[in-house]
Amino acid sequence: MLLSQDKKPTLIWLQGVTCNGNTHSFLNLSYLELLLSKFELIYLPFMEVKYSFFDISKCSLSCDVLIFEGTFDPLMQRNGVLLKDILIHYANDAKHIIAVGSCASFGGMFKASAPDRNSGLLYDGDDFIGVLTKLYKKVINLSGCPIHPEWLGYTLSMIANNKNIKLDDLYRPVELYSNLSHHGCTRNEYFEWKVDAKNFGEKEGCLFYEQGCRAPMTHASCNKILWNEVSSKTRIGTPCFGCTEPDFPRENFFKTKTNMSIPQDIPLGVPKRSYLTMAGIAKTFHIKRLEGKLIDYKTTD
Amino acid sequence: MIIKQLIEQIEGEAFVSFDMKDDRVEFSTISFAHFRGMEMILEGKNVLDALVITPRVCGICGHAHLMATVRAIEDAYKNAGFKINLTDKIQKIRELTLIMEMIQNHFKWLYMVIIPELSKIVDLSLVKEPLKGAFSASIASKIIAIFGGQWPHSSYMVPAGITCDPTDIDIVQAQNYLDELISFFEKESLGVSLEKFLSFKSCKDFNDISSDISNLEKALISIDMHHKGFSHDRFLIMGEHSFTNVSKLKHTRTFKVNSKYIKTEEAYSPNEKTYALNALYNDEYYETGSLARMMSNSIPIIKNMHRRYKDSAYSRVMARIFELGYMLNHAKKLINGIDIYEKSITKVENIEKVSAKGIGIVEAPRGSLIHKIELEMGIIKSYKIITPTQFNIGSSTPDKPTPVQLAMKGLTKEEALFVFRTFDVCSVCTTH
Repeated sequence: MLLSQDKKPTLIWLQGVTCNGNTHSFLNLSYLELLLSKFELIYLPFMEVKYSFFDISKCSLSCDVLIFEGTFDPLMQRNGVLLKDILIHYANDAKHIIAVGSCASFGGMFKASAPDRNSGLLYDGDDFIGVLTKLYKKVINLSGCPIHPEWLGYTLSMIANNKNIKLDDLYRPVELYSNLSHHGCTRNEYFEWKVDAKNFGEKEGCLFYEQGCRAPMTHASCNKILWNEVSSKTRIGTPCFGCTEPDFPRENFFKTKTNMSIPQDIPLGVPKRSYLTMAGIAKTFHIKRLEGKLIDYKTTD
Repeated sequence: MIIKQLIEQIEGEAFVSFDMKDDRVEFSTISFAHFRGMEMILEGKNVLDALVITPRVCGICGHAHLMATVRAIEDAYKNAGFKINLTDKIQKIRELTLIMEMIQNHFKWLYMVIIPELSKIVDLSLVKEPLKGAFSASIASKIIAIFGGQWPHSSYMVPAGITCDPTDIDIVQAQNYLDELISFFEKESLGVSLEKFLSFKSCKDFNDISSDISNLEKALISIDMHHKGFSHDRFLIMGEHSFTNVSKLKHTRTFKVNSKYIKTEEAYSPNEKTYALNALYNDEYYETGSLARMMSNSIPIIKNMHRRYKDSAYSRVMARIFELGYMLNHAKKLINGIDIYEKSITKVENIEKVSAKGIGIVEAPRGSLIHKIELEMGIIKSYKIITPTQFNIGSSTPDKPTPVQLAMKGLTKEEALFVFRTFDVCSVCTTH
């Protein structure tokens, strides 16, 4: 059955204070064309569709799905119109409001541009004081800096298919944010046996103990649904920076904060005593295989 | 008469105020209304945090910012008396991912910006397929992610190295994606093999093919873009890479350059508030980007094009498309040259020992990108970013026009708007 054009949900993508990183991440989606064909595209910032931003800024149109990218700055003007007025106009009519990225979800990187007034749509950090709190039932947060394209792909597909999306306490889809970024990391065995990475630039070792990795404390499916369909930060030796959480960006990204050589922040939900006991025991073992190189190229010579 | 025009799809937006006389642009000023204060955000932080923060200056060229940051930090190390040794592998992988970002940018610009914009002002029918740009760019991004974990916003370059430790299968995957991308470029964009395209000596060589690129070329000629959009005919290439010749050019004459002559000044925008600064070299405006890079590399077809059509809008567009092919070919050589047995990182002192200034310069998709830092015990005292769009899209007074102001002069408003985009403008970088 062919759906007529007017039955497709209408979509507008609006931007606040942003680097466009979520836009460009989304453009990597493998089924982008198929997904976009399920919506009537009213306005997109990255390609010409039905209307221009000039039209959008007149606040005379409406949409079913409003995507918002970037930090919300109440004083920001776009095309001479207060962003606040544009946002609220479209948000009031929309059935779904998707905050894409950590800036739109929690304030994120560009909260620091004007810390006293910038925030996410619902949250300022983890304080529920954003501009759209009254409309919270319609808002879905897709945190991440940037979002993974599949996360928005999933959310829009569920909306297009008229399916209910279950959300966590921070209004993020449980499907995407129940995993920790740690799940599926190729370095998991090193984490289990407390073998830390000696340095950057190596496949071996866990980045949690020295290099600042936040994967065991970060809700994200980065190692379950791989980035660009090929890899992830931790797989290639870059620590997870915890970019999906309300406290992103933290400081000293490449260094684990420790007390008496124990990471200050320990894996999510694990009692400190349990962690210390388990870590202490694991540390007493010396497992030769985990102390050597993962691939011994010399054996093939 | 002043006409104010909102310009979109330039990684954010800008306003151009046209002063029209007899339906021609007499003068124009450009304003960028949005400001994020990246330099301020960076101050007081450990400089290693800049490796995470500066990629977030820009969603489309953040990887270039990452490389500028790592180069600036390494320069500070050297200025503090510490050695930085980069293996050939480190350098090749960094260059490869930088180039892949450039390639994804150029594909998007071609299909999502330049063809749709050109089709508004030509009678020839151009096929608008913006998602071709997204698809090809996504393949280039996969190659970055193999080494950098993800794109956008990777932070895999660190002082004295890279965080990845690729194996043979990573290299094979990268080669396969690159071959797929080259094949896409040949079949979907060029209509000839990459090898044949790179052997083109003259613009006439486009006459024998029928493809997106040849249609674009014909469309540019049909509206006389080879005789329009001329700028100062001065070019600047500051980023040192395996694919550049660091220099400035005045017409076809090449001169040495020194980064100490780069400065910024307030933009002139009497009709609108702007947060942009203009970037100059030795108090003169230069064009930076693909045309500049291809000119400095003495590519036969570009020299031929320039001899006939100077720095016209046609030359600017076609040089960027040629650069796509040139960079795809160069990327192939880089991948093939990676020796996985070399070190991914070399020994480096703790950043807390570094109190010095540093400068990092790279070629971003739109041209030369400069990061200047001042560190005190590894903490950022000051951070200054100068971006390619500040060189190309400055807004100055009528007696001293910037490249884009000069290029738009004398054109109709519609032509001027197209010429504006031939520079490939990045709003978010400009006001960072």
